Amino acid sequence: MRQLPVPDPGTPNLASPSRFVLWLIGRQRGSVLLGMVWGSSWMIAQALVPAVLGSAVDALAGHRTIAFSWDCAAVLALGVITALTGILRHRMVLTCFLDAAFRIMQLVTEHSSRLGNTLSRLLTTGEVVSVGTADVDAVGGAIDITGRGAGAIAAVVVVAAILLARSLPLGLIVLIGGPAMTALVGLLLRPLHQRQQRYRDLQGALATRAADIVAGLRVLRGIGGEQAFSARYRSQSQELRRTGVHVARTESYLNGAEILLPGMFVTAATWIAAHYALRKVITPGQLVTFYAYASFLAVPLATLTEAADSIVRGLVAAGRVVTILRLEPEIAGPADPAPAPPAGATLHDPASGLIVARGELVGLAAENPAQAAELADRIGGYRLGEPAASLGGVPLTDLPVGIVRERILVAVNDAHLFAGGLTGQLAGAGQVSEPDVLAAITAASARDVLDTVGLDGHLAARGRTLSGGQAQRVRLARALLTGAEILVLVEPTSAVDAHTEAAIARNLRTARQGAGTVVISNSPLLLDQADRVAFLRDGVIAEQGTHRELLARSPAYAAAVTRGEG
Amino acid sequence: MAQSQILPVAGGRQVFTHVKMVMASRRRELGAVLGLYFAATTAGLIPPRMLGSIVTDVQNGAAVSRIDLLAAAIAAALLAQSVLIRFGALAGARLGEALLATFREEFVDGVLGLPLSVVERAGSGDLMTRSSRDVNSLSLAARQGVPAVLTAVLTVSLTLGAVALDSPVLVLPCLIVVPPVWAVTRWYLRLAPAGYLRESASWGVMTDSLAETVEGARTVEALRLGQLRRQRADADIRACYAAERYTLRLRTIFWPAAEASYVLPLFGVLAFGGVAYLNGWCTLGEVTAAALYARALVAPMDQLIQWLNYLQTGTAALSRLLGLTEVPADRRPGLAAPDDSQLSAEQVSHAYVPGHDVLRRISLDVRPGERIAIVGPSGAGKSTLGRLLAGVHGPDRGRVSIGGVPLIELPLEELRGQIALVTQEHHIFQGSLRDNVTLGYPEATDAAVAGALAAVDALGWAEALPCGLATQVGSGGIRLSASQAQQIALARLVLADPHTLVLDEATSLLDPRSARHLEQSLSAVLDGRTVVAIAHRLHTAHDADRVIVMEDGEISESGPHHDLLVTGGAYAALWQSWHGK
Repeated sequence: MRQLPVPDPGTPNLASPSRFVLWLIGRQRGSVLLGMVWGSSWMIAQALVPAVLGSAVDALAGHRTIAFSWDCAAVLALGVITALTGILRHRMVLTCFLDAAFRIMQLVTEHSSRLGNTLSRLLTTGEVVSVGTADVDAVGGAIDITGRGAGAIAAVVVVAAILLARSLPLGLIVLIGGPAMTALVGLLLRPLHQRQQRYRDLQGALATRAADIVAGLRVLRGIGGEQAFSARYRSQSQELRRTGVHVARTESYLNGAEILLPGMFVTAATWIAAHYALRKVITPGQLVTFYAYASFLAVPLATLTEAADSIVRGLVAAGRVVTILRLEPEIAGPADPAPAPPAGATLHDPASGLIVARGELVGLAAENPAQAAELADRIGGYRLGEPAASLGGVPLTDLPVGIVRERILVAVNDAHLFAGGLTGQLAGAGQVSEPDVLAAITAASARDVLDTVGLDGHLAARGRTLSGGQAQRVRLARALLTGAEILVLVEPTSAVDAHTEAAIARNLRTARQGAGTVVISNSPLLLDQADRVAFLRDGVIAEQGTHRELLARSPAYAAAVTRGEG
Repeated sequence: MAQSQILPVAGGRQVFTHVKMVMASRRRELGAVLGLYFAATTAGLIPPRMLGSIVTDVQNGAAVSRIDLLAAAIAAALLAQSVLIRFGALAGARLGEALLATFREEFVDGVLGLPLSVVERAGSGDLMTRSSRDVNSLSLAARQGVPAVLTAVLTVSLTLGAVALDSPVLVLPCLIVVPPVWAVTRWYLRLAPAGYLRESASWGVMTDSLAETVEGARTVEALRLGQLRRQRADADIRACYAAERYTLRLRTIFWPAAEASYVLPLFGVLAFGGVAYLNGWCTLGEVTAAALYARALVAPMDQLIQWLNYLQTGTAALSRLLGLTEVPADRRPGLAAPDDSQLSAEQVSHAYVPGHDVLRRISLDVRPGERIAIVGPSGAGKSTLGRLLAGVHGPDRGRVSIGGVPLIELPLEELRGQIALVTQEHHIFQGSLRDNVTLGYPEATDAAVAGALAAVDALGWAEALPCGLATQVGSGGIRLSASQAQQIALARLVLADPHTLVLDEATSLLDPRSARHLEQSLSAVLDGRTVVAIAHRLHTAHDADRVIVMEDGEISESGPHHDLLVTGGAYAALWQSWHGK
């Protein structure tokens, strides 16, 4: 079997959804073709059985023992061939399905990483994740169906040839009547689809209701209201039950029709064929063949309907994938980037007047915390259309985005904690030694996390298994470990108790020795440790000095950091 | 994870008993379904028999009218079959939907009745899986699996019966399929469930990773994790491919073995029937009919094998859903009523892991109306003490009581009227804004709801919503901001009106931009109540009547703010540094 995933998914053709699907097929043309060959052999082997059966009946009727023995052997051989080609087909198309699905996952992952911040702004997580669940299935399904689809066409051709060779009028009856019946049943199915959709919608709503109860269970069990929730769930559940019965009522007519319509057709065909047989136009064995084909034909015809459906759904899904893969990052970086400033360059934000030099620990307090958040985005190079911050005199907009991100890290509280080992989480993209990791954990006062999880222990996605304060300290340790030239910490201790905050404040200076650091916070414990505190008022740095100086000098500052108490 | 073991799974016997009990209450419906399916399947067996007769008649050159009669018989049988199928399918769906509704409603009631202590410990992952995946598996099994298996079993057994009626000697060659299919199916079903579970889990992991890459896209960019995320995706894909290949290997053995076995009845009937016919033991029509029956065995056997897998999954799902009913109760409600609202902890010790006491012999009297702030480093046992004081669970040793009655002996309704625990966690439920505020007090009038919202300074934005109090919020409705959600949580408390509140870092996760605003809302809620606040922020401690400093499960300092400053302990040092002195 093939080795998957492929090391490089390649550059897809995004011209249109169908081009994209063809591109996916083109990566594995041979396998897809082989899948179609096995699929055809598989269906033809099944399609030959009624003919052999008829021939056997005739051989018996004529007491031709040798011919009869051959027919029996043929039945056995066709059974074995069906079994073998069936699994060969399945193996081949499954591999093609997986190749396509995995390639899409790789492409979307890679592209999401490239889009970064832009992705979060343009699409919801749900839209992208549906690619990983529904869309890869649908696109893969369109490729998967090629095997059986080709088989269905082959089978129809073989059956047509056999029937028409036996008797032209009878053959035409079966070949025209069969598809007509399939079309009729398909027509009956249509209203059912709509009702099933309603059932699925209600089922989804009910599942959401249950998920809602589970998600809010602590709140609910804490304060009450279970009766109302139980009653609401029950009434929704009963509505689903009624809709289910309603759908089943339509469906049951269809179940009946599915037996009756093709059955009546088979009966009519058989009745006519029996008259032919009585008049010796066809043999009794051929009568059996006609009877068997009249019902067999429904199988490949249903497969063809399914194939059409799969291809349509696959193209729709491919359209969604293509839309995502076509997105471009908002901040693309300059076409002609300036040379990067030397290491240890000074950061300057002309809009506010903030300056951060190498080796400095700057506290930034703000009268209005929202403006501090804007400032953080600006000095991180996340905002466009404003006077850009500069590093070593070079505006950030003149530098490649990758360089900006490498040198300036804005660490925010909603930064994502990824599922995986603690060390891997902390190390991020860099190569770090165990002592480094331990030092960062200690600096961030996150020893308690280390003690409960362990260095190789597993963290759940979004840090779900951690308390809010623990998650915040893990984020801090991760930010410290990057050793970024300029580190902007936004409210790094907002979820931490005062004792721990004091410890973190004391550790920050050592941890960031020789690099530039901005701590955005109004907490006196943190600000007291800064070399210099800048106080942001109306979007500009209104005052600067040490925490104690400002506390003594500026009533507005004192009010902002002590919340008017003490 | 250890958490997943907190909720039990029902054993096979309990599941069986429960299903039997539920079925017994619907015996008549069950009988009708079985009867209709039986009749429909029987009618479906008439046409091959008739065709066999036609073949014999054609061979013997019978009259045209006889052929017409046989064709009419086939048509009549088909008509009967389709009418019976119609009623059988409807009756089956009616029964299946009813059972399904019963099971899922029992499950949700079980969730809503889970003991407080279990809810606090269990986390929501396991419950979430049960409420989504297990309910879906059960639904699939009940709506499609059971009818499919029922039809298949009836068809196979009745077809064999039809062959016996047609020509008893030809039953034997039909039965040769049973041993190989039986053996290979048993093998497959033993290995398949775990394999498919692993397969679907590996797809889940892959999707979760993608979701993380997308959700954390900004972090990926900021920390330049793109390369790592790609490696992660490749690793997930490798795991998924391995899981897929495992089940593919199972199918590679099972499918051809089963499919090749299906041809055995046809081959056997044909060969054996041929010999019988040539020797004059049976007619050509009988051989034909038996061969057609043998061919007709394939589809139901295939169905049966396909659906057995789903039935297994469905049963496993049911055992997890029923498992909730086995969680033991954690309260011992008594009849004693509290004398007053004096909350006391006496010599309280508590451990989550035996031998590792999180709290050690803590005693604390909370005077009615007093405001206590508990401070201390993380891991000191503050939250545990908070949960014990709120009566979420009982202490291992010692006792926590209100008005002389241990909290654990108060009925839940009674306890809620006395003490509430407010944590960082808040949740906006799917429903109207009004529903969200009146959780603990459903009879509240609109005026009372508006009053509660006004008290937490939320009435302004609440009235500005498209439909006011009737606006749908939560999942699927209007999204509220985190601070609005927190205000709703506080408004719930105003309506529930307990005399004592335990606040566990209730505002610590808030955006500092809104924290100040919310503190004003909070102070409106706290007004006139006894408050025990586990505090992050020292100004909360400063405002309290009494500050309690906890370290290592013990109370190390206790007293009013100013007294502690004079004593000059750890609290004083912290306060000094906070004030830059």
